[in-house]
Amino acid sequence: MTACDPAQAAAASGLAPEPGENAPVRLPAIEVRTEPDEVTGFLRETGGIGTGDFVPLTFPFRWLALPAIRGLILQLTGGEGFLPVHESQSFAYERSLHINTDYVLDVEIEASEKPPRLILKMVVSTAGGEICARLETVLRIVRLVAETDI
Amino acid sequence: MIDAAPGAPPPDWPRAGDEIGAQNFGPFAQEALARYAAVSGDDNPLHLDPEAAKAAGLAGPPVHGMLMLSCFEPLIMGWRRDLFISRLSAKFLRPVLAGDGIRVMGRVLRSAWVPKPELILRLTARGRSDDLVILAEAVVQHKNANLIS
Repeated sequence: MTACDPAQAAAASGLAPEPGENAPVRLPAIEVRTEPDEVTGFLRETGGIGTGDFVPLTFPFRWLALPAIRGLILQLTGGEGFLPVHESQSFAYERSLHINTDYVLDVEIEASEKPPRLILKMVVSTAGGEICARLETVLRIVRLVAETDI
Repeated sequence: MIDAAPGAPPPDWPRAGDEIGAQNFGPFAQEALARYAAVSGDDNPLHLDPEAAKAAGLAGPPVHGMLMLSCFEPLIMGWRRDLFISRLSAKFLRPVLAGDGIRVMGRVLRSAWVPKPELILRLTARGRSDDLVILAEAVVQHKNANLIS
């Protein structure tokens, strides 16, 4: 068994997938804000230098945990018995992110089957539509082995 | 910034082959993984639950790849404060288990001053047995480059 069909998962989540078996699923735009306490906490736990007056490079990764994105990842992962394992990650910045600022996320998730992977692409833009950063996350889907399988 | 002839890099601009000194991060105790999960939202049980890690074929919970990848920014900023990291891409090659640390380092692969002051860096993270756990590449620019807002 592999990760579930993205079209089925998208239908289950009420999203309209593009035609095609493995078409990427695109989420509606999500509004986020670089809250100072969240940036400071993130910096503290990642060995960051400074006093929290800048947004760490990898900070946008935390937005993948937002309910809309996380829910779709979990659906596409295949549910109970499967876990995503981080395989690769990239960030491409066109401009720095600033603390206490509103941003808009555009997220697209694509599933592949051999081997089972999810490819997440996120674009972070200002409220005015200027692109700040692009992220790509590749997750390998791993089937957990129950003790009875060992 | 040190003055230089027009078009020429200043004497202190890094050259290909220059090393970014190694820096140790961790060890990352299980409590540190729990705290990172709280601030990042990445509460994948693989990192927090020894049983889930075992079911995935690991001897213990692995350190979040993103927690280790985050160590490259302080490495680069500790090397030179006048840089903006415009790109960072990485592959997670091997797990580092909770309780272990990593040693991160870098080297300048390419250096340019014109048309814009830019460096391409090879970055690595190694585990306890000096095994390569993250292979990464970064593109960094001088903060005065007009790309930066």
